[in-house]
Amino acid sequence: MTNSSPGPAEPVAGADGHPGEDLLASYAAGRAGTVDAWSVEAHLPGCARCRAALSAYADAERLARNRSVLLTRAAIGDGGRARRVLRRCGIPDYVLGLLAAAPSLRRSWLLSVVGVLAVVAAEAVAVRYGWIEAGRPSHLGGYPGPGTLAPFVMVAPLLVLAGVAVAFLPMFDPACRLAVAAPFSGFTLLLVRSVSALAAALIPVVAAAFFLPGPGWLPVALLLPSLALSAFALAVATVLDPRTAAVAAAILWLVPVLLLTTSTARGPLLIVQPDAQFVCAAVLCACAVVLYLRHDRFEWGWMR
Amino acid sequence: MDETTLSVRTAAVRVHGLSRRYGSTRALDGVDLTLERGITGLLGPNGAGKTTLLSVLATVSEPDGGQVSAFGLDPADGAERVEIRRRLGYLPQELGYHRHFTVAAFLDYVAILKEITDRRRRAEEVARVLAVTGLEDRARARIRTLSGGMRQRLGIAQALLGGPELLILDEPTAGLDPEQRLRFRELLSGLAGDPVIVLSTHQADDIAAICPKVVVLLRGQVHFAGTPAELAVTAAGRVWGADERDPHAHLSWRGGDSRWRHIGDEVPDGAELVTPTVEDGYLLLSHAAGAR
Amino acid sequence: MSPETEERDDVVLLRAVARGDEESLAVLYDRHAGWLTIRMTRRCALPDVVDHAVQDTFLALWREAGAYRGTGDVAAFIWGIGIRRLIDAIRRESGPRRRLLWRPAEPETVISAEDEVLAGIEHGRLGQALAGLSPELRGALEATVLDGLTCAEAAVLLGVAEGTVKSRCHRARVALRAALAGEQAGSGTTAYRREVWGAS
Repeated sequence: MTNSSPGPAEPVAGADGHPGEDLLASYAAGRAGTVDAWSVEAHLPGCARCRAALSAYADAERLARNRSVLLTRAAIGDGGRARRVLRRCGIPDYVLGLLAAAPSLRRSWLLSVVGVLAVVAAEAVAVRYGWIEAGRPSHLGGYPGPGTLAPFVMVAPLLVLAGVAVAFLPMFDPACRLAVAAPFSGFTLLLVRSVSALAAALIPVVAAAFFLPGPGWLPVALLLPSLALSAFALAVATVLDPRTAAVAAAILWLVPVLLLTTSTARGPLLIVQPDAQFVCAAVLCACAVVLYLRHDRFEWGWMR
Repeated sequence: MDETTLSVRTAAVRVHGLSRRYGSTRALDGVDLTLERGITGLLGPNGAGKTTLLSVLATVSEPDGGQVSAFGLDPADGAERVEIRRRLGYLPQELGYHRHFTVAAFLDYVAILKEITDRRRRAEEVARVLAVTGLEDRARARIRTLSGGMRQRLGIAQALLGGPELLILDEPTAGLDPEQRLRFRELLSGLAGDPVIVLSTHQADDIAAICPKVVVLLRGQVHFAGTPAELAVTAAGRVWGADERDPHAHLSWRGGDSRWRHIGDEVPDGAELVTPTVEDGYLLLSHAAGAR
Repeated sequence: MSPETEERDDVVLLRAVARGDEESLAVLYDRHAGWLTIRMTRRCALPDVVDHAVQDTFLALWREAGAYRGTGDVAAFIWGIGIRRLIDAIRRESGPRRRLLWRPAEPETVISAEDEVLAGIEHGRLGQALAGLSPELRGALEATVLDGLTCAEAAVLLGVAEGTVKSRCHRARVALRAALAGEQAGSGTTAYRREVWGAS
């Protein structure tokens, strides 16, 4: 490696201005002195012939291996702009990869959610402004009557529940058997999917609520019931099978709301009351505890 | 019931007294089995319990009774079950794919499920299985555009991710033409690391060609465990050919050479005995089980 | 294929890659990965870091092929991306491995006057002046001048602080000027010097 005596000159440029074969060989082997290396490197960008000659010295197997990994990574893709942004925010890439399979984050699903919300909200708005005959008291104490808001209050948390249900029900995951047979923690998978489904569903719900002619805090008031409902479904899923749990949650929400709407004058606006919010918060906490205690059921669960 | 002639000492997967019901049907009824390194074929008609057995081995279904031991681990215990899953590759009978996935993205997803969290490692592993199964050119194709044979290859590719020690393939050759089946055989025999491979099929010629060991499953019970040659030998002396149909035979059919082939217990005197095949042995067993 | 044709070809390929043509990416890889790997290896002794950097370079090409403005060679464009990916890959390494990364510069042979004549080296005087520099100074010059890196990027590549890079560059330039100034009388190196070192 050390060449202390001045021997014959280092392999040098050939007469036609290209590095000679010896120089390229010694450069490829890392034996070229700095000056020769610099002259080779300065020459490379402009000369395809010498680049090709130099490339011949590269390890073919290593190149082939890198080539296949490169093309695979190009094929896998980086998931698009949203995923890149989220990755930069610090979310690990494998979590984002799991979300790529989540049905409740698909554009088609989100569009349908938005569509349903739009219809329901539009109906409420139309009744409020008298464009449609409601047949129900349309004003009560300065607010639109319970009848106008009932459909929205009923439907919005159900949509959130539906998004979460789609996330954890096996029937919506075509590759569910693979997920069960794989070592990845079933509970983590469930959490990742449910939380992202919640976020994806809550945003349109809250946004739509802003457009509604209701009490100002209606959008916020819908958060706790939606969360509580979803947590309830997940907690029950640790005891019963997932499908029953989802249906049970839906019924346990619909029935009381319907009863309240038809019996009480204030009906759905009760949800905005602090008492109701407190009940929802309590349910949410209780279900979260149950979920935590019984997470084994998802962690290494069997399929039915 | 034939006992396995294999040495229990080398067994990697052991099943004892396994049973599983679906409602009133007994899908598995007291199955005893040992599997060791190499390929074992699971032969049986539809409804025999092959899928259920494989599903239990893959820790996807919970048995109602009996014990399973894989590499010394017991799937009844949660933590050990996860450990088995780390060494497992499973191709279910009806593998569903998310419709929008490309081949590479799907394999990336399964690789995450197999706990390969590092992005680069995942890409290397996906590249490896794509090369092994010959799907490199289709890496960017959407799964829904793939033919049946390609989809099977993709199914095998995802099972191979992570280099499993236990490979469970449920009907991997279903719907494949003979050339594809040949390629599949080459693929399996070329796998590094000598894993325990179990594959199920209802076609006897797959067994004869691929599997050094075969287990015959009928009505939820094991009726034979041994080599294909031994299975063929069980029908020795009970397969004969004739120019006409013989009503005493259990099973008869006309071959391509216009001669009748008969399988049965009541062999007429002076009948022209023919060398039994694996299929003959299987059919005889199947008939016997049905008659019980 | 004549070099000019291949140059044009590279531009065509790059545009195809910008449109999402994966086969063009593969062809570009086959053409350029070899010399890229070798050139990177001269700067980083760890092969797997170089492997990652090479992959990242072509992936970056896959995503940003549209950034190529059509000026300069495609090879220079690729190297510009590549050296920065190499720095990123080095940054990601931590701890003990980091110290192994920088490849010590090869000891220089002293070029005798006769050999110089025989070999017809044009940059003989510059070469001798460079040979007179210590490896660290040469490394700093290479990173900032030849690779066109900023001092911050060079600092990562060399594994030293940014201030150290700056001072080394300064000392190198001073030493070179001194060495070359000693040759001033009748030397034809002035023009060459300006060409290589620019306005510094």
